[in-house]
Amino acid sequence: MRRCASGERAALRQLYDATSSKLFAVCLRILSDREEAEDVLQEVYVTVWRRADRFDAARASVMTWVSTIARNRSIDRLRARGPLAYADQVDDLEIPDGGVSAETLMVAAGEEGRLHHCLGELDPRTEKVIRTAFFEGVTYEALARRMDTPLGTVKSWVRRGLAKLKGCLSQ
Amino acid sequence: MSEAPELSELEALAAEHALGVLTSAERREAEARMASDPAFAAEVEAWRARLMPMAENVVGIAAPQALWLRIERSLGANDNQETGRGLRFWRGTAAGSLTLAAASVAVAVMLANQPTRTVVAPTGPVAQGQLLDASLVSQTGQPVPLFVAAYDPTRKALIVTSLVTPNNDPAHVHELWVIPADGKPRPLGILEPGKTKAIPMPEKLLPSLAAGSALAVSLEPPGGSPKVDTPTGPITAVGKLAKI
Repeated sequence: MRRCASGERAALRQLYDATSSKLFAVCLRILSDREEAEDVLQEVYVTVWRRADRFDAARASVMTWVSTIARNRSIDRLRARGPLAYADQVDDLEIPDGGVSAETLMVAAGEEGRLHHCLGELDPRTEKVIRTAFFEGVTYEALARRMDTPLGTVKSWVRRGLAKLKGCLSQ
Repeated sequence: MSEAPELSELEALAAEHALGVLTSAERREAEARMASDPAFAAEVEAWRARLMPMAENVVGIAAPQALWLRIERSLGANDNQETGRGLRFWRGTAAGSLTLAAASVAVAVMLANQPTRTVVAPTGPVAQGQLLDASLVSQTGQPVPLFVAAYDPTRKALIVTSLVTPNNDPAHVHELWVIPADGKPRPLGILEPGKTKAIPMPEKLLPSLAAGSALAVSLEPPGGSPKVDTPTGPITAVGKLAKI
């Protein structure tokens, strides 16, 4: 029993080693606050540990599952700051979202590669708004205010962009 | 790319939830819908699978070294009872899609190399109790959720979100109560409509926060119930705490 318990932890540690830097970047990008991002990351791995029985390998990859938990927790915290809350100086934080790089092109055969290809097929404005929404976890309202564009317009850009993305990914 | 057909309203909502553009209240609604509507839940999962590779492609930033220690400390109390669950998880992973399945090999190696460890008293904050949640539904008319609550044992705090639309009623406030097995209500504070509040739990109340205890919200005059140990106004919502 002790060996199992010990093995458990080592296993969680492996998952942590394999995923924590990406998840930290994701949380940091949404929250733009190191301390809060650390808190969220701690919650994420404790949640993974406790809810591991809910993980269904048939339905999602491990990375999708842990990224979803990390994004949900970060967004919930961001929303608690208010409906218009968003990270102010994202550019200053210099957290790259891995746009188009040599690395991206090299993995073009993988899932990320396909998504990047399809994002690239969108018009640049739609691609930007979807990336911003994803990486900063902000509401339509905050996006609209930031882009100085009516809410309905931003919403229809995103919805049309997502529909195109789905079409492209299913090809 | 040619014009794609529009997404149905349901799928658009699922995609927006996965993308993360919904407001706090809309997110709660979407989560509640996922719990009750498997078709909607499947749409959300499908959109998460489509979009999440964006996160996999970010350039990582190393988390501070001390963070793992914090995580490990907050796991401490539940090692044994969690063992079975964890094993299922790793079996699932091995059948899954990520190279992390290789972890099990590494684990075997680590086990072989590890000296017997004795459990020492943790020095940091330790989780007390279990993760619990409750959905508090209205007591009149349709049973709709009006408040959602979760107990976070690592922070020893009850995080409560009011789903009630603020209506500027200065004559009443919503007061939260916990009613443990002994049936005596303990006040937990005032909830603001539409807001989320983290309520730190004092040590003496921790035993009340167990699966099966009820949470209730009563309508009270400003400042809360004039009586310390009992609600004076009508109970607007009730829910039971359950393990997550």
